[in-house]
Amino acid sequence: MKNRQIWLIALLIVAIAGPLFAQGVAEPTAATGPVDLELWYGAAITEAGPPPDDWVAYQIIRDKLNINLKITALPSNEADQDVKISAAAAADNLPDIFMVRRETWLRLINQGLVAETDDLYAKMPTRTKVQYDDDSIAFTTINGKSYGLASPGSIAKNEGVLIRKDWLDKLGLAVPKTTEEFMNVMKAFTFNDPDGNGKNDTYGYGAFIEINNYEEGLGRRMDPWFGAFGVAGTWNLTKANFGLNVRKSAYYDAMVFIKRMIDEGVIDPNWLSYKKDDFRAAWKQGRFGIMREQNAAYAATSNYAPFDKNFPNGEWVIVDPPKGPNGHASVGVYTKAFRIYAISDKADATKRDAIARLLEWMSSDEGYFLLGWGVEGTNYTLKDGIPVAEGVPDKDYAFTGPKGQPYTQLRNMVFYNGQVELVSRYPTYVTAVSKKTMSALDVLFDMQTRAWTANIGGDTLPPPSTDLKRFYEQGVAEFLTGRRVLNKANWEAWVAEFDKLGGKAWEDSARVVAETNGLLR
Amino acid sequence: MDSQTTVLKPKRNLWRDIKRHRSIYLLLLIPMAYFIIFKYIPIWKGQIAFKNFMPRKGVLGSEWVGLANFQEFFHSFYFWELLRNTIMYSVGKLLISVPLSIILAVSLYECRIKVLRKTVQTLTYLPHFLSWVIMYGILLVLLAPGDGLLNDAIKAFGGKGIDFLTNVKAFPWVVLLSDAWKEMGWGAIIFIAALMGIDPTLFEAAMVEGSSALQRVRYITLPSIRPVIIMVVLLRLGTILSGGFNQLYMLYSPSVYSVGDIIDTWVFRGLQEGKFALATAVGLFKGVMGLILVIVSNRATKRISGSSLY
Repeated sequence: MKNRQIWLIALLIVAIAGPLFAQGVAEPTAATGPVDLELWYGAAITEAGPPPDDWVAYQIIRDKLNINLKITALPSNEADQDVKISAAAAADNLPDIFMVRRETWLRLINQGLVAETDDLYAKMPTRTKVQYDDDSIAFTTINGKSYGLASPGSIAKNEGVLIRKDWLDKLGLAVPKTTEEFMNVMKAFTFNDPDGNGKNDTYGYGAFIEINNYEEGLGRRMDPWFGAFGVAGTWNLTKANFGLNVRKSAYYDAMVFIKRMIDEGVIDPNWLSYKKDDFRAAWKQGRFGIMREQNAAYAATSNYAPFDKNFPNGEWVIVDPPKGPNGHASVGVYTKAFRIYAISDKADATKRDAIARLLEWMSSDEGYFLLGWGVEGTNYTLKDGIPVAEGVPDKDYAFTGPKGQPYTQLRNMVFYNGQVELVSRYPTYVTAVSKKTMSALDVLFDMQTRAWTANIGGDTLPPPSTDLKRFYEQGVAEFLTGRRVLNKANWEAWVAEFDKLGGKAWEDSARVVAETNGLLR
Repeated sequence: MDSQTTVLKPKRNLWRDIKRHRSIYLLLLIPMAYFIIFKYIPIWKGQIAFKNFMPRKGVLGSEWVGLANFQEFFHSFYFWELLRNTIMYSVGKLLISVPLSIILAVSLYECRIKVLRKTVQTLTYLPHFLSWVIMYGILLVLLAPGDGLLNDAIKAFGGKGIDFLTNVKAFPWVVLLSDAWKEMGWGAIIFIAALMGIDPTLFEAAMVEGSSALQRVRYITLPSIRPVIIMVVLLRLGTILSGGFNQLYMLYSPSVYSVGDIIDTWVFRGLQEGKFALATAVGLFKGVMGLILVIVSNRATKRISGSSLY
């Protein structure tokens, strides 16, 4: 009985004390032992898992760099990433090096939680050459000091306006060029049964709300329409006309045009309810005939396959964005996108040296190919110097296969949008059903030739307050849903209220930042 | 006689009681540890509600700012709207979900076909286990203005489609009814448990007296589970300033912010901006308000009906 009680007490102590010490006690690093480094990374393939524990890279990093690397994938959703990093910051428990969005990073600097990185560039000459150019360093420089390492992010101008060419052909229509021609085509797509199924189940345009700080209001999927009126994106970054686009009269004109699209019933009525996946499922189901979409999301093998299966005779083509009444046209705004990796202020000199060693190795040939594509002969083979998935013993373990993908989760830390990466990432292929030859790379190059609005640094301008952001997004949405009547007087009253709530002050503070950082052109 | 009684009455001794029932007290340690670690220690850290919290300086090192964080919340442009929406959803869910759960529980209790009872009970509490992410997908299939099943039906009868998810008039009903759908079955479990405790002879006697099923529900069932109903309602009142973050965060969009934004979604957006102290201040405000509501309503119900939580 007594023994049982002792065991019971011991069990309870373990159960209670266990969670308290769950974080463990850091083992002191021996002077000659490997340095422990914790890295929080943005996964390259969100649906694939992390690299396995026996990943060869861990061993190489340990043997050659004297580093015990522990990696953790951040959530794929940016809002969830912010929450995870903010929670770690609140507990003063940030990892040694971590990927972070710029807005969150700015707050961490103000809280004194991230370290300066100026001294690191010289310690990583190879990496600095391929990853950190002047724009990158300027991106992370605050008050003359660099507080992070900004690697090239997503490729600029990688989206485009696409239209269903098979629908145009069936209805005997030409590719539209102006906003009015687009309107006519959208009407035909909506009311003239372009897919010939005898049902009234198609729409002219499809979108969803996808907002970030330089594409506020209705977000990037609606930017071709704002671009037609010269007000794409949150900001106008010209010297002559700097300011918030929403405060410009042309913005109202664009709103009137979009309201017309809604009133005419030519936009998929689900657009305000769609999330990204719903939108992408919708175009693959043939719900609408015009959209703004990203090159890979449209043309990469797995993304195009469902559309190819559903509509073997279907065909999307990239077209110029609609030209507005004053001759403006733009797919949207582009900036130089970067991924910031910040270093915790708590990382000591030993860890900082280890971080420099690790990043420099990542940009060596060994690190670049190992993290980018895996092990040669197992995960990829080289064809004319380009890593390809063909010729590996087990296709599942190819870098594109389900078992090979986890080995490339850190590839965004080594890629810099070079030619080898692009050709490897977007191979030309023949679709399974329609036997069309597709290339997301050709699509990308085509998209990049279209009209865009330069907005370099637009993503570095200060964000609005929480209340103002809501007022902005809610207001434009309500004018379109009819909750607010869209006329000149109401619009001007709303803009005045926007200013009163801090809109003008936001613009003024952004002007100072833009002028100080030389962002105006 | 008196002295004999005194001898027979055992002397109260806490330590002796604990020792005698040590197994029970040992078991109590686990929930106590939970409450101490996760509920009481954080109260001490709640002082950051009155500070300009800087993680590097820690809870004690951060400077005091008085009521500045509370003022930021109360002075928000949307404060009254947030408060209205939050209370609207909390009270609305209370008024819809609780009666529906009671009706479901009573119906299941009265149902004499065992297979039907089990099937309905399983089907009604299954949605509780679906996350709001999945529920949103289901609601989109049902309610989408373009091709939602409900809108298809409305159009088939010659009506005009309704933007349920983006219309400010329809949206609150979507929130309330989808919550009722999701939680009704789960909420009924506690009432079913209470119903099981009713003495069956009461029903037998009532039937002998010729009472109808509805009369039995009115005069036996409902009065018997009244303490449980009061307990459920009082506990819900304690969280009246939590309108259901997960649900609203998934369902709302800019076009319905005016009726969809609640205190918790507003705080979440603040948290994304690193405003930990503000979030703590709002949490403290919600907790204090909930406590006051529970105490006041508990006293009121005790005075009016004789039943209370404690």
